[in-house]
Amino acid sequence: MSRAAQLMAVRGKLAALENRKGDVLPFGDRRIDACLPGGGLPLGCWHEAIGEGLESETAAATGAFIAALAAPLASRGAVVWVMRRQDLHAPGLASLGFPAERLIQVGAPSQTEALIALEDALRTPGIAAAIGEVERLDLIAGRRLQLACERHGAAGFVIRRRLYGRRRSDGLAAAATTRWRIASAPSEPEPGEPGLGPPRWRVELERCRGGRPGAWIMEKADGPLCLRVVAELGDRGLDTPSPIRLAG
Amino acid sequence: MRRLTAVDGRAAALGLFPGQKATDATALVPELIIAEADPAADAAALTKLVDWCARFSPAVAADPPDGLFLDITGVAHLWGGEAAMIDDLVRRLAAHGLTLRVAIAETPGAAWALAHFAPDRSRCENGQAATALAPLPVAALRLSQADAGQIGRLGLRSIGSVAALPRGELGRRFGSAVLKRLDQALGRAPEALTFRRPPNPWFARLAFAEPVSAPEDLATACNDIAAVLAARLEAEGQGARVFDLAFHRLDGRAERLSIALSLAGRDPAAVARLFQPLLERIDPGFGIEVVTLAARETETIGSRQACFSSSFGGGGPRSGGGAPNASPDRHRPPTSASPVLPPGGGERDDQDLSPFIDRLTNRLGAAVVWRAEAFASHAPERAAARRPPLTRPAETAWDAGRPRPVRLFRRPEPIEVIAPVPDDPPVLFRWRGQARRVRRAEGPERLAQEWWRRPFDDPAAVRDYYQVEDETGARFWLFRAGLYDAENPPRWWLHGLFG
Repeated sequence: MSRAAQLMAVRGKLAALENRKGDVLPFGDRRIDACLPGGGLPLGCWHEAIGEGLESETAAATGAFIAALAAPLASRGAVVWVMRRQDLHAPGLASLGFPAERLIQVGAPSQTEALIALEDALRTPGIAAAIGEVERLDLIAGRRLQLACERHGAAGFVIRRRLYGRRRSDGLAAAATTRWRIASAPSEPEPGEPGLGPPRWRVELERCRGGRPGAWIMEKADGPLCLRVVAELGDRGLDTPSPIRLAG
Repeated sequence: MRRLTAVDGRAAALGLFPGQKATDATALVPELIIAEADPAADAAALTKLVDWCARFSPAVAADPPDGLFLDITGVAHLWGGEAAMIDDLVRRLAAHGLTLRVAIAETPGAAWALAHFAPDRSRCENGQAATALAPLPVAALRLSQADAGQIGRLGLRSIGSVAALPRGELGRRFGSAVLKRLDQALGRAPEALTFRRPPNPWFARLAFAEPVSAPEDLATACNDIAAVLAARLEAEGQGARVFDLAFHRLDGRAERLSIALSLAGRDPAAVARLFQPLLERIDPGFGIEVVTLAARETETIGSRQACFSSSFGGGGPRSGGGAPNASPDRHRPPTSASPVLPPGGGERDDQDLSPFIDRLTNRLGAAVVWRAEAFASHAPERAAARRPPLTRPAETAWDAGRPRPVRLFRRPEPIEVIAPVPDDPPVLFRWRGQARRVRRAEGPERLAQEWWRRPFDDPAAVRDYYQVEDETGARFWLFRAGLYDAENPPRWWLHGLFG
C-alpha cells in the first residue's frame, strides 16, 4: 500500500471517530445552542440534572424535562429509564411527546444496581439514551458511565434524586459533561385562554465542558423537538458584584 | 421353587392366592394357565399408566408393584367433585381392561390403607383419617411382614388398637418404623412421594472423572455443557427461553441455578455468560461430579441466531421487529455508508437488545424490567400495564387530550385544601407541611371507579381531578374523593406531579 493510500485510510478513520464524537442533538435555538460545544447537546457522554428542594425527592420537573429533552433520541434507538422508586407514569411521558410505550423501564433495588443497569444499557448497541435516577455517584462511577457512553455514542442522563426521608447528600460529581439545574416555571397560556399553558421549566446550565453556562425559560413544544426556548435569563447575581464572569 | 405372584379373579375364586407354590396350584386346578412373571414389563406398564394418569393430576407417583398415588389437591372440582372424579377414573381404566380399587384420603398412607382394606371407592374427609382407619387390620399400615406378624401375635388386630397404645411403649416394642408408618397414615409425619415428571428431551449431562470444585472449573463446565445442549438445539432448529443448570455434589445434594431469556435462544456463549454471575452462589461441598443442563419452553427459532452479531451497531438494513425469517438483506455486510443508528425509523431490531434485557432480568427479576402499555381503564393507576420489554407495542395509545402526571403516587397523599364549594378547584392547599397558593387550575375531570370492581353507589367511587399550578410553576394532580356534601365535606388527595 502506498504512503498516500495509508494516509487516506488513517484520515478516514479519524474523520469517522471525530464524527461520532461530535454528534450532537441541537435544541434548534441559537440562544442555547451557542452555549453548547458543537451547537447542541453532545451525545456520547452523560449529563446530570438536579432539582432543588422537594424536587430533589420527587424529581417531577427534572424527569419531565429530561423526557422532553431525550424524546428526539427515541427515534434513533431504544431508551432505557432506570429508577429506584417506580413512580414514573407512562401516560404522563406520552403527553410530553415521549414515545413512552417503547421506553424500557427498570426498577433497581439499590443504588449500585441502578448504576450497573445504567452502565450496561449505555454499553448496549441499539440503545440511544439511558436515563438513571441516582442519589449520588462518585468520580469512578462517573468515569465508567462516560466510557460506556463513548462505546456506541449513546447519551446518558443522570437525574439526581434522593429517596424519601433521606438526608440531603451533597458532593456533586464533576465527571458529567453538562450539569443542568431544573425547576418548574409558571406557565403562560395564550391570552384569553383559560386553564394552564404548556409546562415550562427554568433551566440552568451550570456546567458545560467546552461550552459556557447559561439560564433559560423553556417550554414544551409540539413538533419533533419537544422543547423551545421562551426567554434567556440574564445574570441574576445582583447582590454579589462580580465584574468579570469566567466561562467554564 | 416357583410361586404364584398374581392371580386373576376366577383363579382367586378357585382358592388360589399369590405366594402359593406353583405345583400346589396346578395340583388343585390342573387346567390352570400359568404365564411367566415379568417384573420389568410390569414396572414399565405401571410407568405408562402413571403418564396416562397425568390427565387427572399433574402430580402422579407410582407405588410399585401395582399402585398409583395421585395428588388431587385442587383438581377434583374439575370433575365436579371427588366422587365424579373416581367414577371417571374407574370407567376409563375399566375400558382398558384393568380392575382397580380407589380411595381418597388426606394422606398417602391413609389412602393406601383404605384402597387395600376398606370397601372400594371409600372416601375419607380431612381430619377423619383416625376414625376411618381404626377398624382396618394392622397390615394396612404398610408394615414389613415381620412387624405386622409381631403386632398380630400380641393380639392387636386393628389400627385403632395400635394407635391407642402409649407412644413410648409402642416405639420401644416395635421400633420406629411402625411409629413412622402410623404417623404418616394419620397425617402427623410428612411423606414424600416421588412424582413422575414428564421427560424433558432437552437435557445434557457432563460427568467428571474427578470431582471438581474450583470456581474456574465450574465456569468451564458451564461453558462446555451449554455448548453440548446448544449443538443439539441447533440441529433441531430449536431455541429455549429457560435454562436450568444443576451441579450434583458428591454428597447427593444438587445446587440448582436457572436463567431466563426474553427471546428464545441457544447461543452457548450467551447462556454461559448469564450463568457466570450466579456461579458464586454454588457451594461445591466436597466436589461436584455431574453437571446437568435442561432447556425449557423451547420453540422453533430457525436461523435467527445465525446472523446475530452484537458488535455492529446497525449492520445493514433491518428487516424489522425480530422476524424469525431472515431476509437476504440481513446477510449483507455492514457498509461504511450505513449509519451507526438507523435514523428516524420506528422499527427497531429487538434482537440487539435481547442480551441486555436478559442480563437485567436475570439480575433484577423479570418483574422490574418492563414496558408500559396502554390499558383501557379510567383508573389512572391501571392505565399503564406492564409488559415484557421486547413484546411488540400494541396499537392502543393513551388519550393525549387528558392531562396525566409524570409521577404518579402509588397511594394518593392526603392534603388540606381551601376550595370554594361546590365544584371549584382549590385556591390553597397544604402538602407535606407546605402551603401552596394555586395560581392556575384546570378541571375537573371526573373519573369513576369501574363499577365491576367496586359498587357504584360508593361515594368515594367518583373522583374529580384537577390539574393545578402553584406560584412557582410546580404542577400537581389533585382530586376530591366523592361529590360535594355539606355535612361530610369530601377529602382531597394529591395523586401525582406534573413536570
